[in-house]
Amino acid sequence: MSSWTKSFRGNWRRFLIRYEMLLLLVLVAEWLAFYYFGTSTNRRGMVVGFGTLDRQFDILRHSCEIGLLALALTPVILTAGIDLSVGSLLGLSAVVFGALWHDAGWPVWLAAFATLFAGGVAGGLNAVLIARLKLPPLIVTLGTYSLFRGVAEALTRGAVTYTDFPVGFLFLGQERGWGLPMQAWIFLGVAASVWTLVHRTMVGRTLRVIGFSPEGAHYAGLAVTRTLTLAYVMAGVIAALAALIYTARLGQAKADAGTGYELFAITAVVLGGTSIFGGRGTVTGTLLGVAVIAVMKNGLATLPIVIRWNAAEESAGLLTGALLIFALALAAAPKFLSARRARPHFSAVTPIPKSP
Amino acid sequence: MVALRQGLNLVQQGEFVNLPERVQWFGFSQSAGQWIVLLGALGLLATLAAGTRWLTAGRYVYAVGSDAEAARLAGIRPRMVTFGVFALMGALAGFAAVLNIVQSPQVQPLAGSGLELKVIAAVVVGGVAISGGRGSLWGAFVGLLLLVCISPALIHLHVEAYWEKAIQGAIILIAATAEVMRIRTRNARPPVRANA
Repeated sequence: MSSWTKSFRGNWRRFLIRYEMLLLLVLVAEWLAFYYFGTSTNRRGMVVGFGTLDRQFDILRHSCEIGLLALALTPVILTAGIDLSVGSLLGLSAVVFGALWHDAGWPVWLAAFATLFAGGVAGGLNAVLIARLKLPPLIVTLGTYSLFRGVAEALTRGAVTYTDFPVGFLFLGQERGWGLPMQAWIFLGVAASVWTLVHRTMVGRTLRVIGFSPEGAHYAGLAVTRTLTLAYVMAGVIAALAALIYTARLGQAKADAGTGYELFAITAVVLGGTSIFGGRGTVTGTLLGVAVIAVMKNGLATLPIVIRWNAAEESAGLLTGALLIFALALAAAPKFLSARRARPHFSAVTPIPKSP
Repeated sequence: MVALRQGLNLVQQGEFVNLPERVQWFGFSQSAGQWIVLLGALGLLATLAAGTRWLTAGRYVYAVGSDAEAARLAGIRPRMVTFGVFALMGALAGFAAVLNIVQSPQVQPLAGSGLELKVIAAVVVGGVAISGGRGSLWGAFVGLLLLVCISPALIHLHVEAYWEKAIQGAIILIAATAEVMRIRTRNARPPVRANA
């Protein structure tokens, strides 16, 4: 009985001092700060606070696309990989969708499914180069980052913008259903699936093992190539899904859709406590990271000018960067301190982990 | 870091600052100024290339990039080298900023945004290993020339300029694949690695 209590207490403490709890605290703190200091005018010209339901939904709607990309990147980064191409793929998918619907005259649902498929194929290109040919993910996705955006620009000649999508499709990005913005349901669905995949399946375990040691995973008989392929193809499909939501929200598809989103998504993932060196991280953390950044971005615009210096957008960038560095330093602190304390004097043969 | 740099925009917040006249082209005429910018950059490149090639400090960088633990056992302090390299990076970015500023009477806080990925691409195409320890500055320079020359070449060939980024991406992928193939054929037994 007592041992049970003890273990329970231990778990409880472990639960409390988890990194995610810290992130949740930051989220609550910044939300409360905006709640007390933030004001804005609503559609009818009335001065309202930050706490309105409309604003919460606004934050949710604007964070869905980057949130989806962050969810797509979490499994990839768990394998110590990276996918810089998701933002470009969002642009390419949006253009492909617009072209299929507008130019080829496909029905919307068919064009949407074809876009998801195209996203999977594009992710497959990354997967083949990374998982089969064993090229470094950074270089491969840097190449496809250029390639996807370039193909999108070539398809539209840098000018064509697809608009006039049917109302039924725009519903997906602009209306509410069952009490939430429509895209939030898709986002939550994907979040739940990715969470299940990463935390409750063999595949998720394999992702982590690959992140710690690809050789170890190989010798342990795990399907390294197949799991890596799954991670990158899934990133492609989710990026295409984000493109559909993006198109539905703005009502237009353009080649420059999602420019720079990949770095925001990576920031959210890393802020969420996922190690960029692989093996460590949670989907919950990623979701909290997305929320912290989204609330900060939206909330700073509601503060009086004096507090937020000049521009909300730039302040948000600055604060996000500072928060990220703080988080990284915090994560590195215990290791650094223990290394300081327990450095052996004759450590000539102490193997240190291979730097990634 | 990238996000933090965005915060620099705060300083000016999109406003252009008019610099004193003497700053532009270092106070020389435009034609002379262009030469100074070009020669300054090339001179720095040659100096650094020679430095990484022949100076002990330069070889330390290769040693740490190749195998930090082996370098440490050989008496190099990897942390110091890493620190020095990043500090040098900051100094070089500052130098690039100066060369950029003198070309126009205005300072734009957004100057250079998006350049980081292009630069990495050029370095990789130039044969510098992303896993560290291999490559040279002249290689990176050639890679840069290759990527920069796509756009004029397209115009010359009467191909639509919108293909530039796509071709850039294709070159990166081909260069990376070729590099790995070259190493594979040289080493009989390829290492089992998912990520580098």
